[in-house]
Amino acid sequence: MNHSTTANGRETGLEVSTQAVEAEIRDRADPQQVLADRVAQLYRQMPIAIGATFIAGAIATFELQGRWLKELVLIWWAIVVAYSAGASLLLYAYYRSSDKVGTAPEWLRWLGIAALGNGASWGLAGGVFFRSLSDEQQVFLAFLFAGMASVGIPVYAASWPIFALYAAGILGPFFYVLLTFGNRLFVEIALLVPLFYVINVAIAYRLTQVFHSGYRLRHAYGKLAQDHRALNRRLERQLVELEEARRQVEASGRKLALFAERAPIAVLELQPDGTVAEVNHAAEILFGYAAAELVGGPMKKLVLAEFHDEFDRIWRQLQTSRESIAGLKIRNPRRDGIELTCEWTVTPLVNFQKEVIAVIAQGRDVTAQLEAERMKKEFTSTLSHELRTPLTSIIGSLQLINSGVMGDVDKEIGELTVVAERNSQRLLDLINDILDIEKIESGKVTLVPEVMRVDELVRESLVLNKAFGERFKVSFQSHGDIPERRVHADRKRLLQVMTNLLSNAAKFSPEGGIVEISTEDAGANVRIAVHDRGSGIPEAFRARIFGRFTQADSTATRQKGGSGLGLAICKRLVELMRGRIGFEDRPGGGTTFWFELPRRTA
Amino acid sequence: MPARPLNRICYVEDDEDIQRIVRMSLERVGKMTVAVVSDPTQAIAMIAEFHPDLVMLDWMMPVMDGPTLFRQMKLRPETSALPVVFITARASQPDLEELKTLGAAGTISKPFSPKDLPDQLRAIWAALP
Repeated sequence: MNHSTTANGRETGLEVSTQAVEAEIRDRADPQQVLADRVAQLYRQMPIAIGATFIAGAIATFELQGRWLKELVLIWWAIVVAYSAGASLLLYAYYRSSDKVGTAPEWLRWLGIAALGNGASWGLAGGVFFRSLSDEQQVFLAFLFAGMASVGIPVYAASWPIFALYAAGILGPFFYVLLTFGNRLFVEIALLVPLFYVINVAIAYRLTQVFHSGYRLRHAYGKLAQDHRALNRRLERQLVELEEARRQVEASGRKLALFAERAPIAVLELQPDGTVAEVNHAAEILFGYAAAELVGGPMKKLVLAEFHDEFDRIWRQLQTSRESIAGLKIRNPRRDGIELTCEWTVTPLVNFQKEVIAVIAQGRDVTAQLEAERMKKEFTSTLSHELRTPLTSIIGSLQLINSGVMGDVDKEIGELTVVAERNSQRLLDLINDILDIEKIESGKVTLVPEVMRVDELVRESLVLNKAFGERFKVSFQSHGDIPERRVHADRKRLLQVMTNLLSNAAKFSPEGGIVEISTEDAGANVRIAVHDRGSGIPEAFRARIFGRFTQADSTATRQKGGSGLGLAICKRLVELMRGRIGFEDRPGGGTTFWFELPRRTA
Repeated sequence: MPARPLNRICYVEDDEDIQRIVRMSLERVGKMTVAVVSDPTQAIAMIAEFHPDLVMLDWMMPVMDGPTLFRQMKLRPETSALPVVFITARASQPDLEELKTLGAAGTISKPFSPKDLPDQLRAIWAALP
């Protein structure tokens, strides 16, 4: 009992939904399209209507003409022929029409008129001829009318109002004639005519409904089939795309697995609870454990105890932020007890629900690198202090002797102390250059930029380097006017750049040569240039002239001195001040070194 | 600029060679009177006794470095007003900035030129209020 109720209930539900689906399908049919189909159906049947009317009309004419009112019969026949011709023309026009769908209501109206005309032509026969005919002929005509009215049902069934018009055209006059005949039997027959009419129209109405829903279903089905095909095509396309995507994912998955497996860095996949899910070969080598010893165990096994708190903190951060963290330096114990410092990048993998499903940890042993950095720092500090301090004593002593404040010394001894002082100074310059380039390249140099006048700087550099030039028997001169210009730069560092360029020019100028300094505008920049008359820059050397420890040839280095770092320092300093530096051949021989800085307005 | 010329210098330095060069430079080139202190822990007493116009401190010394000594001098009334010039091999910008904020009158970087040292000191002296 219970069971059947449930079943019934379910069935009813199913039925309702099926009906709903059907209704929806029917609604998919375009009403205009359905009407057009019904009109087409009516026109397709029209040849039957025309043919039947013409043939029946011909027989009736033949039957009636010999006996009664010959002219009237012929006129009626002419009407039948006219109807047939008119209806044929209408049919022809319909088939020639290009827009049968849009104009369907019009064609239906025309057909209605034609059907009424058709019916009325028979009605005319009934109204005019029936009363004066013999009994046999009356039976013949009655039979003809009944037949014509019945034939109209299938012919006009696609639209019951048209059938109603047609049948009314036939039966209306006939009904009137029978009713007014004066004979009781005929009156009784007349009363049956409307009944016959109503039944026929009712049948036509039912048929119209059937046709109508048939056409609607046909259209709905067509639409459905169309949708279905489109859906199928789309599905197929998506299937192809999906397959392609799957292949790509698979390929990139393989690639990723390869990357992880063959990577020189340790890669560990961790579960959200912090246990190791997978490790690569590099991790095994780095920590000295086999993969099987690590997988399933806690990651903390690879973290030094004093870093456990930090590990927990990072782990919580990963769970909440769900973002990658890079540059974590953590000390990790190896299996043999040796501690490593590794730099880790940890990346949580997040699913669609934004839950962390795994964490990928990538670690790189930076122990040696940190040690190297520490040693470099120590070395730099040693250079800075431990070398400068003795040099201070050496240079200081020699300067005191050479300056004559200690009294006169023997000429040859004096020459030697000058050599000693000059070379101590070279050693100091080299140390300073090395410290400078190290500081610049490690980003530790701090510039103190100010808005300053370039022309003043140029004049100052000329004064400061005058003595150096004299040593090489070279004089520095400004070329033309030095206009008043301002730049935003570090004064001391810019002076260092100028000193480097001037001393280079002096070193590589011929004895008695003149080095010229010019200042000019170059677009939005100020360009300061140092022009020499040296032998020019050899082709092979041009590309690396601003590199470290570079000089055109080592003989010159020994002769002239210099660390080979001067131009490298200049380039980096100028670039730190948002400028640029370069060189070009000087017309008439020699080289021009220049640098540009953004011009400031006063 | 102080009214009197710069004359008496007290120099705190642990390196004997540099002591000698500075002494010669200031005495011979600069014609100044110099007192050299090797042990920074004795420096304050020596300074108080010598009454220098200006104190030169080496930055890096064992036992007590220059900046520490300088801070101690600032706490003592007999030395707190004296102008102090640091002489240092560490000439990085942040270091020099730090000395300026401590209230140093000036800095001279190692290696310095003994020929020019007296002039450098006089320039710093001249710039004092």
